Amino acid sequence: MMTLIIGGSGSGKSAYAENYIASLSKGKQKYYIATMQAFDPESQKKVERHKLLRKGKGFCTIEQPADIQKAVEKMETKEKTALLECISNLVANEMFSGEVPETAVTEKIITGISVLKKELAHLVIVSNKLFEDGQVYDKTTMEYIEAMGRINEKLAALADEVVEVVVGIPVVVKNRLIN
Amino acid sequence: MKLIIGGYAQGKLRYVLSRYNVDTSKVWDGEIPERADEQRGTMVINHFHNWVKSRIVCDGCPEEEIRQFLEKHWDCVIISDEIGNGIVPIEALERECRERTGRILVELAAKAEEVERVICGIGQKIK
Repeated sequence: MMTLIIGGSGSGKSAYAENYIASLSKGKQKYYIATMQAFDPESQKKVERHKLLRKGKGFCTIEQPADIQKAVEKMETKEKTALLECISNLVANEMFSGEVPETAVTEKIITGISVLKKELAHLVIVSNKLFEDGQVYDKTTMEYIEAMGRINEKLAALADEVVEVVVGIPVVVKNRLIN
Repeated sequence: MKLIIGGYAQGKLRYVLSRYNVDTSKVWDGEIPERADEQRGTMVINHFHNWVKSRIVCDGCPEEEIRQFLEKHWDCVIISDEIGNGIVPIEALERECRERTGRILVELAAKAEEVERVICGIGQKIK
């Protein structure tokens, strides 16, 4: 089963996602697929904060800043459960690495996620809502926002359920029982 | 305490004034009244995110200050813009304000009796 969790900055989406997957895996081994690369003190602080949030929840961390499908090769358990956080960093890493043509990034990521979905019993994905500040940015940033939009759309189509976290409160967007 | 959130220009204040039947003299814009003790009835704190930013700029501690305020003045409606749904700001101060505002709102939402999100002038009760 695949769940997509979206939310803005400081919305409480990570805490919600971690608790959600903990309730799914019921104390069994689960994986945390981390996509963020911490190059500066601010992102290091963010990584540390997230590690603290996850502490004691039984996560095994897999660092996978790109080539997301490769995360599955690093999982040893038979039944695989993972939380992937987050899509915005994965998209930035793939787009700005220069290795994949920009137009191919969306397809590469969706193909990778499809592999994970197929191989895993439970896959929970955290993505960002970054479409609502009404600003017009430079061309590169606009392309990034557009890629994020398309990817979120495709992930939502693949997902069995989609939840938006608003001030820490889950709001169901796509329900697995109804849709 | 009731929390109202939503994007810019979504009619949040209008929604609150009509739903809770409070008049504009009880509305505080981007500030918390200094002499809150003298206030009677339900207070409305509008543009709460602006207050958070003003406290951060002054090296205050909005997290602690709002906790203390609510201990004394629980009967209030707090209205805030949702500011976390955009691109990460280039300026460090803006990033800090965005992040801290989000976390404060999560804490307020957990405590609130009711949380509503206003979209196009329509309130969606999410708690």
